[in-house]
Amino acid sequence: MDRLEQELKAALGRKDPPAGFAERVLREAARAPARGTALPQRNRPWPRWLAAAAAVVLCAGAGLGYRQYRGEVARQQVMQAFRIASVKVNHIQTHVREVER
Amino acid sequence: MTQLESVQQTGLDFGELVRRHQSMVFSVCRHFLHDRDQAEDVAQEVFLGLHRNLESIQSEAHAGHWLRKVAVQRSIDAGRRRQRRPQVALADVAEPAAETAVRDPMLGETLRRLIATLPETPRMVMVLRYQEDLEPAEIGQVMEMPVATVKSHLQRSLALLREKLARRGVREERWIG
Repeated sequence: MDRLEQELKAALGRKDPPAGFAERVLREAARAPARGTALPQRNRPWPRWLAAAAAVVLCAGAGLGYRQYRGEVARQQVMQAFRIASVKVNHIQTHVREVER
Repeated sequence: MTQLESVQQTGLDFGELVRRHQSMVFSVCRHFLHDRDQAEDVAQEVFLGLHRNLESIQSEAHAGHWLRKVAVQRSIDAGRRRQRRPQVALADVAEPAAETAVRDPMLGETLRRLIATLPETPRMVMVLRYQEDLEPAEIGQVMEMPVATVKSHLQRSLALLREKLARRGVREERWIG
C-alpha cells in the first residue's frame, strides 16, 4: 500500500453517526409494523402487475362496448334509410299507376 | 429493552445490530454522499430495512453483509435522486498547504472532497476499498461487478487523484508515510 493509499485509508476511516442515532432508529422501528408481520390482506396494496392488468381489461372492455354501440347505431340508421326509401318507392309506384290509367 | 430488541428465533438483537454496525453504515453513506444529514437519513432507512427483513437474516455476519450491501445500494439511489453529481465541484476543493506534514486534516478533507467528485461507481469502489478495507473480489460481490472492473476503477481513480493532487502542488514525496 503506497502513501496515497495510506492517506486515503486515514481520510476514509469510519465515523460515528451523530449522538442518539441508534435510539432514533429504534424509535422509528417501534412505529413500524412488528417484525415479520405482513400487512393485513385488505390493506395490502395491489401488486402493480395486477393493477396494470385490470386497467388493460377495463380499457379493452370499454373499447369493445363502444364498438358494439356504434355498430348498433349504424344498423338502425341503415334500417331507417331502407324504410324511407321503401315509402318513397311505394309513393312513386302509386303515382305511376294513376298516370297509366 | 423494547419488544423489537427481543429475539426468539434468530438470536439476533436488532438494537445490538444497530449499535454494532451504525458506524459502518453511516460512514459508507457519508463518504459516498459527502453530506452528513443525508447520510444519516439514508443510514436510518437502511436499518429500518433490516428491521423489516430481520426474519430472513441468519447470523450476525449475514446481517453485516446485508447492511453493507443495502447501504451501498441506498447511497447510490440517494445520490441519483439528488441529481447533483458531482456534488462538490473540483474548483471548490480547497488546496492543502503544500509544505504541511502528513495526517494533516486538510489533506484528508481534500481527499474526501476529491473522492466526492468521482462518478458514482468508482466513488463507491474507493469507499469500500479504503473505508471498509475490502479486497477487490469482495467489492465485486457487494457491487455485483467483475473483479477486473473493480481493479480497473481503483487504478483509474488512484491515477486521477494523484494527477489532481499534483496539479495542486501536493506531491507524495512531501508526505510522511
